[in-house]
Amino acid sequence: MKKPGKRLISLQINGMEYEVAVRSDRTLLELLREDLMLTGTKEGCDDGSCGSCTVLLDGSPVRSCLLLAVEAENREVTTIEGLAENEKLHPIQQAFVDHGAIQCGYCSPGMILTAKALLDENPAPSEQDILHAISGNFCRCTGYNKIVTAIRAASRNGKGGD
Amino acid sequence: MDELLHVGRSIPRKDGPIKATGRAKYTVDVALPGMLAGKVLRSPHPHARIVSIDTGKAARLPGVRAVVTAEDSLKIKHGFVETPRYPADQYPIAVDRVRHVGEDIAGVAAIDEETAEEALSLIEVEYELLPAVFDPEEAMRPDAPEIHPNNPKVDEPYRNIGGKTATSWGDTERAFAESYLVREDKFYCQMRAHGYMEPQATVAHFDYSGKLNVWTSSMGVFLKRAKLAKTLGIPHSSVRVLKTYVGGAFGGKIDLFHHEYIASLLSMKCHLPVKIVYSREEVFKAARPAQPLIVRIKTGVAKDGEILGQEIEAINDSGAYHGSGVVVIFLAWGFAMAPYRAPNLKYEGYSVYTNNLVRAPQRGHGAPKMRFAVESQFDMIAEELGMDPVEFRLRNVRKPGDILPNGDSVKKFGLSECIERVAERTDFRNRHEAGKRERETGATVKRGIGIGTTAYFGGSLIYPNSSSAIVKLNDDGSVSLLTGALDIGQGCETILCQIAAEELRMPVEEVQIYAADTETTPVDIGSWISGLTYVTGNAVKKAAGQAMEKLLAAAARELDADVEDLVARDKQIFVGHSPERKISYARAVAASIARDRGDSIIGEGHFRTMKDVPTHPSLASTKGRWTENYSSYAQVAEVEVDTETGAVKIVKVTTAHDCGFPVNPALVEGQIDGQVSMGQGHILSEELRVENGCVINPSFLEYKIPCSLEMVETDYIDVITEEYKRGHHYNTKEVGEGYVSGTVASVANAVFNATGVRMKKTPINPYDMLAELKRIRKEVS
Repeated sequence: MKKPGKRLISLQINGMEYEVAVRSDRTLLELLREDLMLTGTKEGCDDGSCGSCTVLLDGSPVRSCLLLAVEAENREVTTIEGLAENEKLHPIQQAFVDHGAIQCGYCSPGMILTAKALLDENPAPSEQDILHAISGNFCRCTGYNKIVTAIRAASRNGKGGD
Repeated sequence: MDELLHVGRSIPRKDGPIKATGRAKYTVDVALPGMLAGKVLRSPHPHARIVSIDTGKAARLPGVRAVVTAEDSLKIKHGFVETPRYPADQYPIAVDRVRHVGEDIAGVAAIDEETAEEALSLIEVEYELLPAVFDPEEAMRPDAPEIHPNNPKVDEPYRNIGGKTATSWGDTERAFAESYLVREDKFYCQMRAHGYMEPQATVAHFDYSGKLNVWTSSMGVFLKRAKLAKTLGIPHSSVRVLKTYVGGAFGGKIDLFHHEYIASLLSMKCHLPVKIVYSREEVFKAARPAQPLIVRIKTGVAKDGEILGQEIEAINDSGAYHGSGVVVIFLAWGFAMAPYRAPNLKYEGYSVYTNNLVRAPQRGHGAPKMRFAVESQFDMIAEELGMDPVEFRLRNVRKPGDILPNGDSVKKFGLSECIERVAERTDFRNRHEAGKRERETGATVKRGIGIGTTAYFGGSLIYPNSSSAIVKLNDDGSVSLLTGALDIGQGCETILCQIAAEELRMPVEEVQIYAADTETTPVDIGSWISGLTYVTGNAVKKAAGQAMEKLLAAAARELDADVEDLVARDKQIFVGHSPERKISYARAVAASIARDRGDSIIGEGHFRTMKDVPTHPSLASTKGRWTENYSSYAQVAEVEVDTETGAVKIVKVTTAHDCGFPVNPALVEGQIDGQVSMGQGHILSEELRVENGCVINPSFLEYKIPCSLEMVETDYIDVITEEYKRGHHYNTKEVGEGYVSGTVASVANAVFNATGVRMKKTPINPYDMLAELKRIRKEVS
């Protein structure tokens, strides 16, 4: 079985410039997790249904298991590792910790990034807005209740946010 | 009593920041130098003799480092239960015969996943197909194909009975004869997946010192060590299972999984680390799903609603091996009899071999299915008697201090209070009457309300039976807590730190926890029989208490004071009546080391439930103590049923719960919310569909777990029956499993309340709902 050749691409990840040689059939998820050891992004299903692998591409949430790495060429990728500044958690991360929105934590990176994209776009979302935004991110532990509480707390409605 | 500093408070979980930042290392994230990708060859057939396996081509493929089959193994069987009645019945890698689709036949380790997959395709297996059986009631027939011809016969002449639980008391025949009303109903619960977000994953590294190091997504490291050591034929001291964060389990990661064995065997063969991660499809098609159950109940009641007698039969399709099937038929009895009195009862549970996947426990382990059946029938009886469902339950509920037929006391059992308080909070009686009227109106969307209840055990005796803990004071007065407990998301690390900090009167932040390493932490009961907070919690309490005693003794000497006069706070020890005389924890530690010839301050604690009881109760007869603390809950669901689409929406679930003393109320709420959601999936949408033993909906696109758009509003009522006092036992009860049951049962009852449709099969899908609505309309017209 002949494997596809590698291509040299440039992309920005969490504010850093990367130049990587990657096979054209590799997903962005594989590039992040296996080549760059950015294992905060999780794989849960490999068919785009669970949302665990969500990262931000130019600020918008995408499933990195459905995106080829080469499609991220010259674009800006944000993973969960890029949110906290040094040891200070991003306000959404802090809200997830404070409000019990994390249990096993496997969905948390994707969920937090989805929430970030929502609040960047709409700093004062309604509960329905929140429920719609995270409807592609499965969580099996929390029933979503405390995740919604956390996102609301981090929003302008909850006096969080900007 | 000193004021409680940490216990009983909702502090955020300790591992929150590491999880929120993506730094928590799960098994899927473990990467070691030289690590190989492992893959498992699985049976495509539900029942076949393996005539031959040829791995030659696979082994010669460039990049392949090791191939294993049963011939590389010691052919040692294992089982979830291993007793003389139920001996181990499963090889960790198939020997001569496969009994279900997906059974593990061979393993390959290669430089990458693609090479490993290609190698799998080069393994040649010749099968001789055997007749298979998939329905448990068919499999019981005397002429059914026999799946384990050489196993001990449990109940001849029936075929394929892997296990039987039978017990009775009183005289049910007479009870039925004296009853005002007798009902007999049969209920069916589907096969479900656990839906943990992290797939099954294992990294095994047999290093050159002869040690097998294993990282695996599990629910307790000590059980894994014991089973790996046994099946690999090596000493416990040669196996080290290490902690990783666990991306959900819900019962589905207990017991030995064969990829763990195969990864280990591969690594032992090539001395390189081997990682096996299931694809999601593989999880659905080959990992152990949960237990389906068929329950037949006959209940006789007096005119005033008093239950006079019950006969219950539970049939479990255990799949191709025992798995937890022989346990679930025991537990189903317990969940039937614990919450309500039944003066005459006859119970028979059958665990039946079929050619389906082997089962694992799932959150509630039989309780959601048994309570769905019992509570549905309760409401049917109440309706016939013209009684309110709440009154019917209060008429029969067990009271504090009741002694169960197995000798257990329910002690300060809070179920009647839970029922009354949840009914009051939800205005149940009025709204239930209103729900009945909905059936008569022409409204498209009908609203209903229903109740469901449960009692649950905690921390029963099963290997490793107990927990130990070690608390070390460091030179700066901070603490290191060593525990074998594995946090699977429920938050046990946080709770154990709260307990240690409480006993040592110091900030929680200054307690560092080192957990779940079979080599460096003491034994632990595991995150899987709802006993961790109780059993491990008390072990930590004792360990911290012993460390505190030593610390106070050292301080008393330094301060020339009596221990009784000392007060500890914020890592300082004061003389109570003259607080200017004080010493820091750091100096007290140093003093102990200096004056006691090097004694640093270390406390150890051990805890086991039911100390006077030698072992777990009989799975065959139910005789013997089961547990020493019964939790209880009453839950009320409010639903809307769209009579045009058949869709059921759960609007709200209110839970009144007696979990003893909540060490961390926020974590308790998290457990309730999660179980309501899991109950929602059970009752409305989740079902593994199987054809000829093969799962045909193996993805989240086709196996529908609840998403945020279906989020159920939750409300909680704490019924605290046990007070925690420092220096005393701390009476916590189960909190992580039972609520699924109340949700499932209350939704089924609410659907009936709104529509008059009584569903005896889960899940209640729109298709069946519409058919039933149509049938009822026809009956009326």
